[in-house]
Amino acid sequence: MADLFDRFAPLMAQRDALLGDGGINPFQVKMDELLSPTEAMIEGRRTILAGTNNYLGLTFSPEALKAAHDALEACGTGTTGSRVANGTYGSHKDLENALAEFFGKDHAMVFSTGFLANLGILSTLMGPEDYILMDADCHASIYDGVRGSAAQIIRFRHNDAADLEKRLARLEGKPGNKLIVIEGIYSMLGDKAPIAEIVAVKKKFSNVYLLSDEAHSLGVLGRYGRGLPEEAGVEDDVDFIVGTFSKSVGTVGGFCVSNHPQFDVLRLVCRAYVFTASLPPSVVVSATANLKLIKQGGALRARLMRNAEQLHQGLSGLGLKLGSDVSSVIAVVAPDPQTAIAFWRGLIEAGVYVNLALPPATPFGYSLLRASLCAAHTEAQIDQIIDIFADVALRLGMIERPASRRIAAG
Amino acid sequence: MSAPAEIVARLIPILGPFNKTNAPLSAATRFTEDLNFDSLIVMEFVAAVEDAFDISVPLNILPDVATVGELASAIDKILGEGKS
Ligand SMILES: Cc1ncc(COP(=O)(O)O)c(C=O)c1O
Repeated sequence: MADLFDRFAPLMAQRDALLGDGGINPFQVKMDELLSPTEAMIEGRRTILAGTNNYLGLTFSPEALKAAHDALEACGTGTTGSRVANGTYGSHKDLENALAEFFGKDHAMVFSTGFLANLGILSTLMGPEDYILMDADCHASIYDGVRGSAAQIIRFRHNDAADLEKRLARLEGKPGNKLIVIEGIYSMLGDKAPIAEIVAVKKKFSNVYLLSDEAHSLGVLGRYGRGLPEEAGVEDDVDFIVGTFSKSVGTVGGFCVSNHPQFDVLRLVCRAYVFTASLPPSVVVSATANLKLIKQGGALRARLMRNAEQLHQGLSGLGLKLGSDVSSVIAVVAPDPQTAIAFWRGLIEAGVYVNLALPPATPFGYSLLRASLCAAHTEAQIDQIIDIFADVALRLGMIERPASRRIAAG
Repeated sequence: MSAPAEIVARLIPILGPFNKTNAPLSAATRFTEDLNFDSLIVMEFVAAVEDAFDISVPLNILPDVATVGELASAIDKILGEGKS
């Protein structure tokens, strides 16, 4: 009889072959000590963190720390219950009110993670007669969410409003509602959805709703940080916004906001809301505190974008292939997984942490060194990141010796 | 249910560029076992089929489609629904 785990053997063999005989395992990095939002001790080395999704650097904001300390003292370490049982405290309601106000929507629902928000909303919202039209590059939590839905799931080509239109046209005359699902900024390459075009397509048809996952764009885009819909001026046309507190908000948790008058019924039917414990109050008040900072965070966003420009310019100047235009996510495309792993190890050994992303989790089957910027990165840190990328890329033969740049010895 | 031969005949040339294992192509060809399709290839192949037939193939049906013939039957059904 085969062992339960035998079916993972090919995967393990592939993983072992990829990781080879030695070096740090990119998927088992341990942060031994956090020095700041942008630095940690890893393997005994002071390391610049350039892959944390901590876009605004708010993980140590004094406002959130103070609120969290107070909440810990007052309410303890956890709620030990579901939102619909003993797990809703005043702070959970306050956060939902703050979110609704922040987005200018009537309703907000807080989930325990962004993954659960997508799972809960997407598996519940649409019925058997309905259709979900999702961008092909959507996050795993969206794929898992729609898998639980009774609706027909149709994928359209990534960021291709014309392909979406074609698919909506094919559904014309069929009963049932349609939900378009996109992300504001796509997590792997950092490219934005063409949301104005998508809204224009949406408006050509009836009974079509739009949901945008603003995981990577909340706090990053828009004058007040409300994400891509704000930046593009289409907030009234986005029916549901899903998001997470685990990136620019600097803690953990997820949410969905909407103007739909019946929205609150989802509190009864979203299993991922009902059948899991609510967030600890210390986390909840951290999110509320940082949301306020995000709203006033114009200077942080400007800083983040300057940092993104600096890194993008530096890396593209080296001749490296990048996944998108200037963005808070900057992904270097490596020629193959082996090179990507060697690259990643070169970076970590020189004191830079970025994410390693390999197919099939990546678009186009790319092997990526995925960096995300932080408003708290200094110009000097980014210069150092660029120097270290140059050094490693040169050693791996991915670039010619850059004429203008000093190459670190090694 | 027997696979609609006409649709199978249209599928085979679309499948050509994705046939990295040089497997013989027929209604009985299995995507995973014979053609070594992974999720990325499935995505690209389905997109090519959708373009060729001017249809959307819902993700929901993919788990039940193991062979070219089963895909042809699924397409037949989608084409039929479009007319109703
Ligand atoms: C697009 C997108 N949606 C949802 C999530 C899940 O968020 P969380 O970390 O809160 O579960 C992520 C992050 O992992 C993401 O990138």
